[in-house]
Amino acid sequence: MSHAASTLTGAPTVMRLSGITKRYGGVTALSQVDLDIRPGEVHAVLGENGAGKSTLMGVATGATQPDEGTIAVGGTEVDSLTPRSVTDMGIAIVHQHPAVLPDLTVLENLRVALPSSVLPLGGGTEAARAIVDRVGLDIDLGDRVDTLTLAEKHLLEVAKAFALDPTLLILDEPTAPLGADAVDRLFALVRSAVDGGTAVVYITHRMAEVRQLAHRVTVLRDGEVRGTSTVDEITDEDLLGLIIGRRLDSTFPPKPDVRDDAPVGLRVTGLSGHGFEGVDAEVRRGEILGVAGVVGNGQTELLRALAGLDRFTGTVEAAGTGLTQATLRADAAYVPADRQSEGLMMKMSVRENAALLALTFFRRSGLTSRRRELDAVHRSMDSLSVKSASAEAPVSSLSGGNQQKVVLARALLSEPPLLVADEPTQGVDVGARAEIYTILRETSERGVPVVIASSDAKELEGLCDRVVVMSRGQVVADLHGDEVTETRIIQAAVTSTAEVVADAERNRTSRLGRWLDSEYTPTLLLVAVMVLLTVLIAPGNDRYLSAFNISNLLLGATAVGFIALGQNFALLTGGIDLSVGPLAGFLVVVASFFVNDGSSAVRVVTGLVLMLAVAVGVGTVNGLLIRFGHFTPIAATLTLYIALGGFAFLLRPTQDGYISITFQTAINSTVGPLPVAFLLLVALVVVLELGLRRRRWGLVLRGAGSDEDAARRVGIPVNRTIVLAYVAASTCCLFGALLLMGQYGIGDPSQGSAFTLTSVTAVVLGGTALTGGRGTFVGTLAGALLLQQLLNATTFLGLGSTSQYYFQGLLILVAAVVYTLLGLRRRRLAGV
Amino acid sequence: MVITGENDVAVQTNRSGGRVTVSRGLVTIGVATVALFVLSAALDPASVSGTSLSGMLPVAAVLAIAGLGQMLVVQQGGIDLSVAGGISLALIVVTHVPDGDSGRLVPAIGIALVFAVVAGLLNGVLIGLLGLNAIIATLGTNALLYGVNLEISGGRPRITTNLLADVAGGTTAGVPHAVVIALVTLGVVTLLVKKTVAGRRFEAIGSNRLAARTAGLRERRHHCLTYVWAQLLYCLAGILIAGITSQPTAYSGDRYLLPSIAVVVLGGTSLLGGRGFPLPTVVAAVFLQQLVQLVSVLGVSPAISPLVQAAALAVGVSLYTIRWTALVRRLTPDRAAPSGAPT
Repeated sequence: MSHAASTLTGAPTVMRLSGITKRYGGVTALSQVDLDIRPGEVHAVLGENGAGKSTLMGVATGATQPDEGTIAVGGTEVDSLTPRSVTDMGIAIVHQHPAVLPDLTVLENLRVALPSSVLPLGGGTEAARAIVDRVGLDIDLGDRVDTLTLAEKHLLEVAKAFALDPTLLILDEPTAPLGADAVDRLFALVRSAVDGGTAVVYITHRMAEVRQLAHRVTVLRDGEVRGTSTVDEITDEDLLGLIIGRRLDSTFPPKPDVRDDAPVGLRVTGLSGHGFEGVDAEVRRGEILGVAGVVGNGQTELLRALAGLDRFTGTVEAAGTGLTQATLRADAAYVPADRQSEGLMMKMSVRENAALLALTFFRRSGLTSRRRELDAVHRSMDSLSVKSASAEAPVSSLSGGNQQKVVLARALLSEPPLLVADEPTQGVDVGARAEIYTILRETSERGVPVVIASSDAKELEGLCDRVVVMSRGQVVADLHGDEVTETRIIQAAVTSTAEVVADAERNRTSRLGRWLDSEYTPTLLLVAVMVLLTVLIAPGNDRYLSAFNISNLLLGATAVGFIALGQNFALLTGGIDLSVGPLAGFLVVVASFFVNDGSSAVRVVTGLVLMLAVAVGVGTVNGLLIRFGHFTPIAATLTLYIALGGFAFLLRPTQDGYISITFQTAINSTVGPLPVAFLLLVALVVVLELGLRRRRWGLVLRGAGSDEDAARRVGIPVNRTIVLAYVAASTCCLFGALLLMGQYGIGDPSQGSAFTLTSVTAVVLGGTALTGGRGTFVGTLAGALLLQQLLNATTFLGLGSTSQYYFQGLLILVAAVVYTLLGLRRRRLAGV
Repeated sequence: MVITGENDVAVQTNRSGGRVTVSRGLVTIGVATVALFVLSAALDPASVSGTSLSGMLPVAAVLAIAGLGQMLVVQQGGIDLSVAGGISLALIVVTHVPDGDSGRLVPAIGIALVFAVVAGLLNGVLIGLLGLNAIIATLGTNALLYGVNLEISGGRPRITTNLLADVAGGTTAGVPHAVVIALVTLGVVTLLVKKTVAGRRFEAIGSNRLAARTAGLRERRHHCLTYVWAQLLYCLAGILIAGITSQPTAYSGDRYLLPSIAVVVLGGTSLLGGRGFPLPTVVAAVFLQQLVQLVSVLGVSPAISPLVQAAALAVGVSLYTIRWTALVRRLTPDRAAPSGAPT
């Protein structure tokens, strides 16, 4: 065991980190960390939660910039790393949370993440097959990733990393969701890569895995390297000692001397649910129950079930009374681990947060009494010593510890039958920590059963009278009395060899299921409805299938179609563009000044160029407001909607400016019954559709809309992609405007805005999801055609505008319900 | 989406636990409205004359009420496009069913309320329970409402009843009744949202749905009912229009769709949901309507009004979304004081 061992040997290093220090605010996450990574060797990095492992890997992969220290790659020092430059240097990382894009298929995920040298953009399915086969991933390349299980997503992430044949491979807790077979396979892969000279950094909680796989091990604790050694030369006891260390003891309140015959406080029998199985636990009145284990082994799920938030089987009894899920949900108090997103209404005041669940106690003749509420909140703030400028200060202005006390105040004010707290002292300073321990102990002594989950074994040792240790969803140790020690808890957690409960086998999709799941299903449904309509109407009306009616119908659909294609771009990014309608109208107004009878060719071209410039400008403004002004897409495009309407009236207060007849004739020209413009629209749809599936821009667009964070991690430039999508949306409106010129024949400031909602309707009918990432251009075209056919049909059948509204309303609602239910089915199958 | 969270409450007089709080939205829109009236008086005194105000205020009252309904939906992170259909259907029902007979006005209002509840429940179930996107669901509901509307009206307007014209369109001591109704509505909405248990929980749910669910609140039920409350307010707005206008058309609600969203945003309520600001929403309605009034009195191009609205919207939103101090600091060439206190 020596710090110097690594630097003394003359072996070349793949990467050398020296003196790395990283601070977040006042907290030092890493302090003077040195790490040498050598080829042909597995280097394990071991440590508890919060030891600094992930931060260190962030530094090594360019995701985090260190405050101090140097990084050398292949012997040469580098100034700074970025996620992109790291990939070029042959460094690959398997993230703890897989960077996969849920709405893309397996093949598309590989294509978007891997350089074309590894996987050519067109074709290359055999290469892709080999890549997934290598990690033993038995899935169809055409499966969409959101239908994969968590384990399969992880394996896909692993597959992407191995496909790069990296010189340095970093694996961050890769085995957490994997079953035994997959773990064996992964280890075999790692070994063969190492034999080929690859350097591997393996981050883990589990000592057993270190023994199985690693050559050397570095232990981190509190952001510092506690030791580096070859694995053969260190005993488990010594490793454990390095992981735990000797820490300053927090002051814990004394444990009560509860008599053996004291009444039962909380009894949990045979509790099973999502992520945990067969949990039994029991504490007497006045005792605190601890739930221990490495993070992600079912503790949070167990606690959520105890709080009534998730379904469970088995029984929960508090003070002798059985509690159902509904009672628990309504009455039990839950302190979540992530207090910012799940615990508090960050923008609301301390008072509003603290009083939330106790409001009924403050009621006076129907209304909440401000005085009673303030009294109770002040009393609670005093007794928990919450430090805040006033009860009216926004809770976001408080320190972490005081925020947590507000969560506790809210829980206690509601007088719960059970208090469940997940990581109650995470991100809390030492002083407040002791106060929180006292609060929890006092609550327990008042007779309210208290359950605490923590990844800090020291904390459980100090606070709890009984501790169950969980691993992979099962209780692997039940400690009480003198057994509740940090060493016993950690030992039970890290030496466990329990396997994942029900390594959720994915429901293999049937052919029908696969068909229902396809993005092209909506298109087929729409086509079926169109055929049905035709069959119903045509026999009774000779003129329905006449060339005149068909070309009329298609011309109308073409204008809507182009604008809807634009809308589809916006929706694919997960946004919306309300400005498409007014933009199309405004462009016609612009044209009415240039494209007139008798205008010179130069003037006409000038007008068209100007229209293009306006369209691109509007799209750019929309995109910039959304991405850089942080406007919601609705706010940004609504602003442009109103402004464009204004500009149209500014230029043409009344209808004027006849569009050149020659131009109109050209736009409306037909080949047989088919308008030329419609044929061009179809051609454009085909090109866009192929691009959306096969070209890089299509993958990038869908990827950015699918999951922004994952997209960024696989190297997609999200901001640029989305701004360009809005420019594309506006450009499509330009084509729509050309057709409107042919239909209106005049500059009319009041036309156009109706196309916004029509275009949204068409796109949604076509099956594009408003959440982004999923959709087709073909479906959009079908949606536009169906809308136009309905409009045409109602006049043909003499139904009038009443039924037109009914049809449109029902169509969109039925479509939305059907697509939403299909989406729910998909998520259920994926087991999410 | 990054929203800077700390500026909901700008002015705070900390007397006995801070009873008086003035939202930043109220300051912004209040100052803008006062400035607009001063500007109106300076440009043309006729634009702030009694005649002008008595024409402008009832319309502003309608917009205010519709805006309050939209605000409740936006508070829950939704958006309601069926505001147009809701208003139009209500005004058609209270003009067509009585057909000039004041005795049949009350049952007509009853029918309008039933339609409002049904439409609200449809939206609520689709969005709150089934999880449909709010834009899509309310777009579909809007079309259905117009279908019913045309079924009843055939698209033809009818003359309103004298009773409604007196009650909703009349004035007492020079004060338009519509203004009184809007103020009462404002009071009721404020009281219900800010002072009842359900209202307080409603705000908390809008502020952080996940946290509300984790805390055990019935967030789906609230989310669902939001759309019913909104439709009831649109219904009231429609009834008012039927009193103010002698022959309201079947599509009168359309012109309130975008302004109803604009006043909510101008009033400081975030489109991502959270706390609602009823009073600033109502002030914003007065602001927008006076703007329209000023433009028409001055006789300049009607295009000015939407352009100013768009500018107001852009400025209004960016006040909340862009961290101007940080931006200014970054764009200032002198980088001598990087992260220090701005002077």
